[in-house]
Amino acid sequence: MVEYKSPSQSARIAANLDATFSAMADPTRRAILARLALADARVTEIAGDFSVSLNAVSKHIKILERAELVRRTVQGRDHILSLNADAMAGAAEWIDYYRRFWGDRLASLETFVINQRKSAKKGNRA
Amino acid sequence: MTAITSVPTVVVKRRIAAPAQTIFDAWLNPTSLAEWMRPCSSGTTRSTVKVDAREGGAFEIVMHVPSGPVRHTGIYQTIDAPRRLVFTWNSPHAGDNDSLVTVEFRPEGQATEVVITHERLPEVARNGHTAGWTEILESLAKQISD
Repeated sequence: MVEYKSPSQSARIAANLDATFSAMADPTRRAILARLALADARVTEIAGDFSVSLNAVSKHIKILERAELVRRTVQGRDHILSLNADAMAGAAEWIDYYRRFWGDRLASLETFVINQRKSAKKGNRA
Repeated sequence: MTAITSVPTVVVKRRIAAPAQTIFDAWLNPTSLAEWMRPCSSGTTRSTVKVDAREGGAFEIVMHVPSGPVRHTGIYQTIDAPRRLVFTWNSPHAGDNDSLVTVEFRPEGQATEVVITHERLPEVARNGHTAGWTEILESLAKQISD
Protein backbone atom coordinates (compact mmCIF):
# COMPACT_ATOMS: atom_id res chain seq x y z
CA MET A 1 0.00 0.00 0.00
CA VAL A 2 1.35 3.36 -0.97
CA GLU A 3 0.87 6.37 1.24
CA TYR A 4 0.07 9.74 -0.22
CA LYS A 5 1.23 13.00 1.22
CA SER A 6 -0.57 16.34 1.18
CA PRO A 7 0.42 18.79 -1.60
CA SER A 8 2.14 21.25 0.80
CA GLN A 9 4.10 18.43 2.36
CA SER A 10 5.01 17.21 -1.12
CA ALA A 11 6.21 20.66 -2.25
CA ARG A 12 8.48 20.92 0.77
CA ILE A 13 9.80 17.42 0.22
CA ALA A 14 10.35 18.20 -3.48
CA ALA A 15 12.34 21.35 -2.62
CA ASN A 16 14.53 19.40 -0.20
CA LEU A 17 15.01 16.65 -2.73
CA ASP A 18 16.09 19.12 -5.41
CA ALA A 19 18.86 20.35 -3.10
CA THR A 20 19.82 16.81 -2.16
CA PHE A 21 19.89 15.49 -5.69
CA SER A 22 21.72 18.45 -7.21
CA ALA A 23 24.32 18.25 -4.43
CA MET A 24 24.77 14.60 -5.33
CA ALA A 25 25.11 15.30 -9.05
CA ASP A 26 28.87 15.59 -8.77
CA PRO A 27 31.16 12.53 -8.56
CA THR A 28 33.58 14.20 -6.14
CA ARG A 29 30.74 15.11 -3.80
CA ARG A 30 29.37 11.56 -3.98
CA ALA A 31 32.83 10.28 -3.11
CA ILE A 32 32.98 12.68 -0.15
CA LEU A 33 29.62 11.36 1.07
CA ALA A 34 30.78 7.77 0.66
CA ARG A 35 33.92 8.64 2.63
CA LEU A 36 31.89 10.25 5.42
CA ALA A 37 29.55 7.28 5.52
CA LEU A 38 32.52 5.30 6.82
CA ALA A 39 33.55 7.78 9.50
CA ASP A 40 33.62 11.46 10.37
CA ALA A 41 36.62 13.29 8.95
CA ARG A 42 38.49 16.57 9.08
CA VAL A 43 38.28 18.86 6.05
CA THR A 44 42.05 18.45 5.58
CA GLU A 45 41.72 14.65 5.62
CA ILE A 46 39.07 14.80 2.93
CA ALA A 47 41.27 17.07 0.83
CA GLY A 48 44.12 14.58 1.22
CA ASP A 49 41.92 11.73 0.00
CA PHE A 50 41.12 13.44 -3.26
CA SER A 51 43.61 14.84 -5.71
CA VAL A 52 42.05 18.29 -5.71
CA SER A 53 42.99 21.49 -3.93
CA LEU A 54 41.79 22.30 -0.44
CA ASN A 55 39.95 25.23 -1.97
CA ALA A 56 38.07 23.00 -4.41
CA VAL A 57 37.21 20.51 -1.68
CA SER A 58 35.93 23.35 0.52
CA LYS A 59 33.54 24.42 -2.25
CA HIS A 60 32.19 20.90 -2.62
CA ILE A 61 31.75 20.61 1.13
CA LYS A 62 29.87 23.92 1.27
CA ILE A 63 27.40 22.63 -1.32
CA LEU A 64 26.91 19.46 0.68
CA GLU A 65 26.38 21.52 3.83
CA ARG A 66 23.77 23.71 2.13
CA ALA A 67 21.91 20.56 1.11
CA GLU A 68 22.22 19.52 4.76
CA LEU A 69 23.87 16.29 3.68
CA VAL A 70 26.96 17.14 5.69
CA ARG A 71 27.37 18.78 9.09
CA ARG A 72 30.41 20.60 10.36
CA THR A 73 31.54 20.71 13.96
CA VAL A 74 34.38 23.03 14.93
CA GLN A 75 36.72 21.65 17.61
CA GLY A 76 39.49 24.17 18.16
CA ARG A 77 41.38 24.32 14.87
CA ASP A 78 39.73 21.22 13.47
CA HIS A 79 36.64 21.27 11.35
CA ILE A 80 35.06 17.83 11.66
CA LEU A 81 32.60 16.75 8.98
CA SER A 82 29.90 14.17 9.45
CA LEU A 83 27.14 12.74 7.31
CA ASN A 84 23.61 13.86 8.13
CA ALA A 85 21.48 10.74 7.98
CA ASP A 86 18.14 12.57 8.00
CA ALA A 87 18.75 14.38 4.71
CA MET A 88 19.68 11.08 3.08
CA ALA A 89 16.57 9.40 4.41
CA GLY A 90 14.29 11.80 2.48
CA ALA A 91 16.00 10.94 -0.77
CA ALA A 92 15.99 7.20 -0.07
CA GLU A 93 12.30 7.35 0.82
CA TRP A 94 11.53 9.10 -2.47
CA ILE A 95 13.14 6.31 -4.46
CA ASP A 96 11.50 3.66 -2.35
CA TYR A 97 8.10 5.26 -2.86
CA TYR A 98 8.23 4.85 -6.64
CA ARG A 99 9.79 1.43 -6.46
CA ARG A 100 6.86 0.24 -4.36
CA PHE A 101 4.33 2.21 -6.43
CA TRP A 102 5.33 0.61 -9.75
CA GLY A 103 5.96 -2.77 -8.13
CA ASP A 104 2.37 -2.76 -6.85
CA ARG A 105 0.98 -1.59 -10.20
CA LEU A 106 2.84 -4.30 -12.12
CA ALA A 107 1.54 -6.95 -9.73
CA SER A 108 -2.04 -5.85 -10.33
CA LEU A 109 -1.42 -5.56 -14.09
CA GLU A 110 -0.34 -9.20 -14.04
CA THR A 111 -3.44 -10.26 -12.12
CA PHE A 112 -5.61 -8.34 -14.55
CA VAL A 113 -4.01 -9.72 -17.73
CA ILE A 114 -3.99 -13.31 -16.46
CA ASN A 115 -7.66 -13.15 -15.39
CA GLN A 116 -8.60 -11.58 -18.71
CA ARG A 117 -6.93 -14.41 -20.60
CA LYS A 118 -8.61 -17.05 -18.42
CA SER A 119 -12.07 -15.62 -19.06
CA ALA A 120 -11.31 -15.26 -22.79
CA LYS A 121 -10.43 -18.98 -22.92
CA LYS A 122 -13.64 -19.90 -21.09
CA GLY A 123 -15.57 -17.72 -23.55
CA ASN A 124 -14.03 -19.56 -26.50
CA ARG A 125 -15.02 -22.95 -25.15
CA ALA A 126 -18.62 -21.97 -24.45
CA MET B 1 30.65 23.90 -11.69
CA THR B 2 28.13 21.95 -13.72
CA ALA B 3 24.59 23.24 -13.89
CA ILE B 4 23.15 19.78 -14.16
CA THR B 5 20.68 18.42 -11.70
CA SER B 6 21.26 14.74 -11.30
CA VAL B 7 18.12 12.71 -11.13
CA PRO B 8 17.21 9.43 -9.58
CA THR B 9 15.99 6.63 -11.77
CA VAL B 10 13.73 3.88 -10.57
CA VAL B 11 13.64 0.64 -12.54
CA VAL B 12 11.04 -2.02 -11.80
CA LYS B 13 10.67 -5.29 -13.75
CA ARG B 14 8.13 -8.07 -13.83
CA ARG B 15 7.76 -11.16 -16.01
CA ILE B 16 4.14 -11.69 -16.98
CA ALA B 17 2.86 -14.87 -18.64
CA ALA B 18 1.08 -13.18 -21.54
CA PRO B 19 2.01 -11.86 -25.00
CA ALA B 20 3.43 -8.33 -25.24
CA GLN B 21 0.47 -7.07 -27.26
CA THR B 22 -2.05 -8.12 -24.59
CA ILE B 23 -0.10 -6.38 -21.85
CA PHE B 24 0.57 -3.33 -23.98
CA ASP B 25 -3.16 -2.93 -24.71
CA ALA B 26 -3.95 -3.00 -20.99
CA TRP B 27 -2.03 0.29 -20.64
CA LEU B 28 -3.99 2.21 -23.26
CA ASN B 29 -7.48 0.75 -23.01
CA PRO B 30 -9.25 3.00 -20.44
CA THR B 31 -11.48 0.21 -19.09
CA SER B 32 -8.48 -2.04 -18.53
CA LEU B 33 -6.34 0.75 -17.11
CA ALA B 34 -9.05 1.73 -14.61
CA GLU B 35 -9.16 -1.87 -13.47
CA TRP B 36 -5.51 -2.42 -12.60
CA MET B 37 -4.02 1.08 -12.18
CA ARG B 38 -5.14 1.48 -8.59
CA PRO B 39 -3.55 1.08 -5.18
CA CYS B 40 -4.98 -2.35 -4.34
CA SER B 41 -6.60 -4.40 -7.04
CA SER B 42 -9.15 -6.03 -4.72
CA GLY B 43 -11.67 -4.29 -2.51
CA THR B 44 -11.03 -0.74 -3.66
CA THR B 45 -12.86 1.41 -6.17
CA ARG B 46 -11.73 1.35 -9.77
CA SER B 47 -9.67 4.35 -10.83
CA THR B 48 -11.32 7.06 -12.90
CA VAL B 49 -9.49 7.19 -16.19
CA LYS B 50 -9.40 9.40 -19.27
CA VAL B 51 -7.12 8.35 -22.09
CA ASP B 52 -6.32 10.06 -25.37
CA ALA B 53 -4.20 7.20 -26.72
CA ARG B 54 -2.08 8.96 -29.31
CA GLU B 55 1.35 10.57 -29.22
CA GLY B 56 0.83 14.03 -27.76
CA GLY B 57 -2.45 12.91 -26.21
CA ALA B 58 -3.14 13.38 -22.52
CA PHE B 59 -4.26 10.95 -19.84
CA GLU B 60 -5.70 11.39 -16.40
CA ILE B 61 -5.87 8.68 -13.77
CA VAL B 62 -7.65 9.44 -10.51
CA MET B 63 -6.84 6.79 -7.92
CA HIS B 64 -9.24 6.47 -5.05
CA VAL B 65 -7.38 5.93 -1.82
CA PRO B 66 -8.87 6.05 1.70
CA SER B 67 -7.67 9.66 2.20
CA GLY B 68 -9.40 10.82 -1.01
CA PRO B 69 -8.86 10.97 -4.77
CA VAL B 70 -5.30 11.35 -6.07
CA ARG B 71 -4.93 12.71 -9.58
CA HIS B 72 -2.13 11.60 -11.91
CA THR B 73 -1.73 13.18 -15.31
CA GLY B 74 0.63 12.99 -18.26
CA ILE B 75 1.17 13.15 -21.99
CA TYR B 76 2.01 10.19 -24.21
CA GLN B 77 5.39 10.80 -25.84
CA THR B 78 5.90 7.51 -27.68
CA ILE B 79 3.37 4.83 -28.48
CA ASP B 80 5.26 2.01 -30.20
CA ALA B 81 2.98 -1.03 -29.93
CA PRO B 82 3.73 -3.58 -28.60
CA ARG B 83 7.28 -2.62 -27.69
CA ARG B 84 7.53 0.68 -25.92
CA LEU B 85 5.38 3.29 -24.23
CA VAL B 86 6.74 6.61 -22.99
CA PHE B 87 4.74 9.21 -21.11
CA THR B 88 5.24 12.11 -18.77
CA TRP B 89 3.95 11.58 -15.26
CA ASN B 90 2.77 14.15 -12.82
CA SER B 91 1.41 13.37 -9.39
CA PRO B 92 0.93 15.37 -6.19
CA HIS B 93 3.72 13.33 -4.65
CA ALA B 94 6.31 14.36 -7.21
CA GLY B 95 5.86 18.10 -6.68
CA ASP B 96 5.52 20.41 -9.66
CA ASN B 97 8.03 18.73 -11.91
CA ASP B 98 6.99 16.32 -14.61
CA SER B 99 8.77 13.02 -14.47
CA LEU B 100 9.14 10.58 -17.35
CA VAL B 101 8.03 6.98 -17.44
CA THR B 102 9.19 4.46 -20.05
CA VAL B 103 7.52 1.07 -20.22
CA GLU B 104 9.24 -1.61 -22.28
CA PHE B 105 7.68 -4.90 -23.28
CA ARG B 106 10.31 -7.57 -23.99
CA PRO B 107 9.05 -10.91 -25.30
CA GLU B 108 10.54 -13.95 -23.52
CA GLY B 109 9.11 -17.03 -25.17
CA GLN B 110 5.41 -17.15 -24.24
CA ALA B 111 5.87 -14.49 -21.58
CA THR B 112 6.85 -10.83 -21.55
CA GLU B 113 9.20 -8.95 -19.32
CA VAL B 114 7.74 -5.55 -18.50
CA VAL B 115 10.33 -2.98 -17.50
CA ILE B 116 9.30 0.37 -16.05
CA THR B 117 11.91 3.10 -15.89
CA HIS B 118 10.82 6.19 -14.01
CA GLU B 119 13.06 9.19 -14.32
CA ARG B 120 12.65 12.58 -12.85
CA LEU B 121 13.66 14.96 -15.56
CA PRO B 122 16.20 17.58 -14.61
CA GLU B 123 15.03 21.12 -15.10
CA VAL B 124 18.28 22.42 -16.51
CA ALA B 125 19.49 19.76 -18.89
CA ARG B 126 18.74 16.21 -19.77
CA ASN B 127 22.33 15.09 -20.01
CA GLY B 128 24.27 14.29 -16.92
CA HIS B 129 25.62 11.45 -14.94
CA THR B 130 22.72 9.74 -13.31
CA ALA B 131 24.41 6.36 -13.35
CA GLY B 132 25.91 5.27 -10.13
CA TRP B 133 24.21 7.55 -7.75
CA THR B 134 21.30 5.27 -7.02
CA GLU B 135 23.71 2.62 -5.80
CA ILE B 136 25.55 5.12 -3.69
CA LEU B 137 22.34 6.42 -2.23
CA GLU B 138 21.24 2.90 -1.44
CA SER B 139 24.49 1.90 0.14
CA LEU B 140 24.50 5.07 2.19
CA ALA B 141 20.91 4.52 3.26
CA LYS B 142 21.81 0.98 4.24
CA GLN B 143 24.72 2.09 6.32
CA ILE B 144 22.54 4.68 7.98
CA SER B 145 19.79 2.24 8.85
CA ASP B 146 22.23 -0.45 10.12
